[in-house]
Amino acid sequence: MATRHVVIGGGTAGMNAIRTIREEEAARSEITLVSAEKPYSRMVLPYYLDRSIAESHVFTATPRVLADWGVKAHLGRRVTALDAKANACTLDDGTTLEYDDCLIATGSSAVRAPVPGADGRGVHSFWTLDEARAVLAEIARGSHVVMVGAGFIAFTILNSILALGAKLTIVEMEPRILPRMIDDAGATLVEGWLAKHGVAIRTGARLATIEDAKGRKRLRFAAGGDIVCDVVIMATGIKTNLEWLKGSGVTINRGVLVDDHLRSSVPNVYAAGDIAEGRDLITGEPAVHAIEPTAQEHGRVAGANMAGKDVRYRGSLIINIVEVCHLDVASFGAWDEAKAEAASGVKPDRPAYRKLLWRGDRLTGAIILGPSSDIWTTNDVGMLKGLVQSGVSLARFKAYLKRNPFDIKPAFIASKTTSALLPETILGRPSKAPGNTPVAV
Amino acid sequence: MLATATNVLRIHPEKCTGCLRCELACSYMQTGTFHPAKSVIRVSPFEGHTSYAPYTCTQCAEGWCMTACPVGAITINAAGAKDVLDDTCVGCKLCTIACPYGTMFYDPDTRKAFKCNLCGGAPACAEACPTAAITYEGTATEDWLGEFARVRSARVLAGVR
Repeated sequence: MATRHVVIGGGTAGMNAIRTIREEEAARSEITLVSAEKPYSRMVLPYYLDRSIAESHVFTATPRVLADWGVKAHLGRRVTALDAKANACTLDDGTTLEYDDCLIATGSSAVRAPVPGADGRGVHSFWTLDEARAVLAEIARGSHVVMVGAGFIAFTILNSILALGAKLTIVEMEPRILPRMIDDAGATLVEGWLAKHGVAIRTGARLATIEDAKGRKRLRFAAGGDIVCDVVIMATGIKTNLEWLKGSGVTINRGVLVDDHLRSSVPNVYAAGDIAEGRDLITGEPAVHAIEPTAQEHGRVAGANMAGKDVRYRGSLIINIVEVCHLDVASFGAWDEAKAEAASGVKPDRPAYRKLLWRGDRLTGAIILGPSSDIWTTNDVGMLKGLVQSGVSLARFKAYLKRNPFDIKPAFIASKTTSALLPETILGRPSKAPGNTPVAV
Repeated sequence: MLATATNVLRIHPEKCTGCLRCELACSYMQTGTFHPAKSVIRVSPFEGHTSYAPYTCTQCAEGWCMTACPVGAITINAAGAKDVLDDTCVGCKLCTIACPYGTMFYDPDTRKAFKCNLCGGAPACAEACPTAAITYEGTATEDWLGEFARVRSARVLAGVR
């Protein structure tokens, strides 16, 4: 059994793996963490940005906690090369670490639109804690912020920017917002809702340059119509951090290809989170799911297997939720499968929309939009996830749901979805509470 | 019955009269106000409101809400229930989408998630139920409502093709 583990990357996947190794191992092993940043949760950066939490709240493991867990940490360091044949990796300070097994969990990073001025003063990404600090330092009450890109990342900080008292304009190259999270009908509803809440949106806008303009920024577009603003945030996508793996001997496609144990093509090298290309629960095909829940599940499964357990992963389910101006927007699974049988419904009296997608009598994907003050929106968000995750046969409730897409609960309960879900656990045993990790095995 | 760490809320749907006392008691215990809209146990109607049953968190083994939380704000309390730590929760809603049972709640006023925490070991809903449709017992959790709801689906499914 592996007695020397090296975990590369201190994000959600890496930290969940470390915790799970400590939970599952039979004998105390050596764990070394290499992380370019102090471990923190990217999910909570929007709440740091709107000043509702202190910066200290974002950290997932302080040096003290890492010491308690018996983790030897190289923080502020990057791995520059992995030599899978030699079972060793090299850090940017020249240190060489040998391992019995290692976990690749280096995640992804923000990319900026390739336009002149994209890396200039007052132009930011919002992905890392350092980037969040820089954005926070520049936005003041009354600032005009332009967000380039109308995807999920942009939408997670929309409320925060408004809460800081800034004026917000969103520009998007594609003809509509949230192109990789919801469909056209949903996007139209969200655009209308945001306009009502004072957010200016310009879609189909091809950005040409970003220039300095007397201490402010000027955005020029291919079709004209300059925008002058104070702060530019580039939310134009992310890319997987794969470069350092060139020549490592690990097979790479869109990410590091992993099997159902999160093992790469090299059996003692695992990969988890944004960088891993593992099984999609719905399609069964390899996919990169750069979302928090996948990083968490990948990390725990990899950690258990590194600790000598035999844990098979069923696959990850794409789930996304974001709240903008008190409107919940969520989607699951194969929500954008063009060929799937689909049914949808809108409420004429409120901003509420549902779309259900089917394979036979099983739900394979869903989109849900509704006011966050509606309890049933929140509850239905969960039940839709349960229906897609469990893949229960809905039989005649399929026809019922196609007519009544807002009445999920009777279908969920009567189809015995709870029975299907109760035995399901990621690690084959009940989960432990976050504070219950053994610190001295 | 003496409360132990393995006690669960057992639902006896055929005994439910739909009186909603559980929702009142729950909201009073959880928020200090009689406010069923803040209750984390929900009485659902079946068969066109001719029968009812309460639905709440099963305290499932995986604890999807707990494992999904990016800041460790959901823990296991002394009663064995998954419990939200208000000071740690940032309100990101990941738990609401991770829970496949639809038993996470979100309060837009406090910007926190909330859920059934078994009232720390003395569930107010079970105590308030006048017909013992909700009991607090040392048993394994089950799908208490599935079969009850299935046989009461005939009317809503009548004519549905």
